[in-house]
Amino acid sequence: MSNIAEPMNGSPKQAETRKSYLRFSLSERVEHWIFISAFIVLGITGLVQRYSEYDISKWIVSAVGGVENLRWIHHAAAIITMLIVIYHIGAVGYRIYVQRARLTMLPVLNDVVSVYHSALYYLGIRKEPPQQGRYTFEEKVEYWAVVWGTVIMAVTGFMMWNPIATTKILPGQFIPAAKEAHGLEAVLAVLSILIWHMYQVFVKHFNKAMYTGEISEDEMLHIHPLELADIKAGTAKPPVTPEGKAKRRRIYLPIYAIAAAAMLVGVYFFIAFEETAIETIPPAEQAEVFVPFTPTPLPTPPPTPTPPPVTSLTWEGGMGALMEAKCVACHNSSSQLGGLDLSSYESALLGGNSGPAVIPGNPDDSTVIIVQSEGGHPGQFSDDELAQLLEWITDGAPQN
Amino acid sequence: MQTTLPSGEILYLSVDPEVFGHSIHGEQGYACIQCHTDITEFPHRPLEASTRRDVSLLYYQNCARCHQDKYDATLDSVHQQALENGNEEAALCVDCHGYHDVTDPNEPRSKSPETCERCHSLIYAEYAESVHGSALLGEGNPDVPTCIDCHGVHNVSGPSNPDFHLFSPQICAECHADEELMGKYGISTNVFDSYVSDFHGTTVIFEQQFPGQETNKPVCIDCHGVHNMQKVDQAESQVIQENLLATCQRCHPDASGNFADSWLGHYEPSLENFPAVYLVDLFYSIFIPAVLGFMVLFVFGDATRRLINRRREKKDE
Repeated sequence: MSNIAEPMNGSPKQAETRKSYLRFSLSERVEHWIFISAFIVLGITGLVQRYSEYDISKWIVSAVGGVENLRWIHHAAAIITMLIVIYHIGAVGYRIYVQRARLTMLPVLNDVVSVYHSALYYLGIRKEPPQQGRYTFEEKVEYWAVVWGTVIMAVTGFMMWNPIATTKILPGQFIPAAKEAHGLEAVLAVLSILIWHMYQVFVKHFNKAMYTGEISEDEMLHIHPLELADIKAGTAKPPVTPEGKAKRRRIYLPIYAIAAAAMLVGVYFFIAFEETAIETIPPAEQAEVFVPFTPTPLPTPPPTPTPPPVTSLTWEGGMGALMEAKCVACHNSSSQLGGLDLSSYESALLGGNSGPAVIPGNPDDSTVIIVQSEGGHPGQFSDDELAQLLEWITDGAPQN
Repeated sequence: MQTTLPSGEILYLSVDPEVFGHSIHGEQGYACIQCHTDITEFPHRPLEASTRRDVSLLYYQNCARCHQDKYDATLDSVHQQALENGNEEAALCVDCHGYHDVTDPNEPRSKSPETCERCHSLIYAEYAESVHGSALLGEGNPDVPTCIDCHGVHNVSGPSNPDFHLFSPQICAECHADEELMGKYGISTNVFDSYVSDFHGTTVIFEQQFPGQETNKPVCIDCHGVHNMQKVDQAESQVIQENLLATCQRCHPDASGNFADSWLGHYEPSLENFPAVYLVDLFYSIFIPAVLGFMVLFVFGDATRRLINRRREKKDE
């Protein structure tokens, strides 16, 4: 940015006391608003990635439909910013070389004096603020901070976008270092815009130059008095002949076209330099999942009931143990399946819902004999066991 | 006592009172018919099972009569999914807990992996070699996870469920962010936070907002190994320096040279580890306050001067 405010066209009478000056041309204003839009999008979509733990970050990621979409938007805004930078380089070059504009944005020693005098003025030591030209030190701080920030962001952004290519040349730790610099520079950029730029253009006084392009004579007098003096003296613009300008334009435009083409190729490389990661799901563990033991062991080992030998045909002498082995799993004191409990001599005599299980001396009416003789009962006695049982009951089913 | 099923398999009908008596249910005096609810009359109704598997399938839902919450949890499990897809081999209650010999499933602690081993023998073999499995099975160390600590108990979940993979960093963090537990072994508890602050972790945390999708960003197990994870200083570890690039290349096939060093390895950057990152942080920790401090001072100075001037102008009027 190195042009100069131009007096607005007015009637000859107004020429004496000009009311307003053109500060920013339409192209500069459009450039600024595109740049602002990209900056805001980059700031939001970038900072939510750096501060992922906050609810607002999660909300924003949800709102755009996921982090992949968010990154896509971030990258798109980065590309717009790069295009704006390429345009800006061309526009500045045009003004400097073709229009022979003065380098009004370049920091000079006098700016340091202005900073110092401003400080003294704030402290009440100097009575007047420093007199400044086309761009005040406040604006130069702003502009060069953006230049610095954009360079840092472009370099570190390229490193993160193309980590494989970067680590072919640089140490691996430069990638996380680039990520750290990218994030912290973003914090600095956003905060300095909020503190510095917002104060200068909205709070200090509402500056309409980026909306209308114009600035009033009064504003010129207070903010850019040296530029106003140059305009009044007719020395603001260096003398340029139309022939010289046309000649320089013929030289400049082809050179810029080549440079711009090279820069666009650079942008393309920025985006498509490498295939960083696969798009598919990476191969997972290859272990076979279902590989049972063969043969699958039975969950319960097959039981081999071996009732103790019958020593005498009494309950205590072996009949009780036989019941215990074959019957009590179902017909026990707690479950009493069919109302029957065969775990003790007394309860066996008592019987269940179908009548007494054991009727001493009367095997034909004893339920246990009736049921077992039919066969097929769970806990079926063997023929030998059934014969012993029959004999025991016939003998009066003694307990001892 | 036994019967032969239509399939030709033998079904034992006798229950060893000794075994049942020492089972949880036997000790507490539960009766046969409390599980065998179809036995209501005599003679019993014929068994509608043609294979031994049919018998298990017929009876296992009876567990829900007392253990409804556990049964309900199994309805979300991979085993239930397999069952619904027609795989009758899928584990039922009784396949893990046993039939008449049900005992405390967590005693001893190695019982759980050994139960899973019956069907997942190869995965068990990997686990047994891992840092976790060898500590449990070799040293009897109870601090390490068994199968169910990661996969869940009744609602057993695995890689067939995308969310299991997507949310797995939090499973690892349950132990690896526990200072008391990790302190015993001198393991950093910063591993989860450092993962989340890295590109991969940040992405996964955001992707967790949209459950049900596959992520191709690595979670803990993608680098450290799934069942065979090793101590990071073991030669077999996938993340030891010598093997790290190969691990990166599974997702970054073109990676070479220094690429693997771009991962901070869960370190907090310092002058010894990753000095470039440390110095960038240091630079900005000075540069940001310096720049913003200058701006705040000048904004404050300008605003104050303007207020003072305005007040004076009013006085003069």
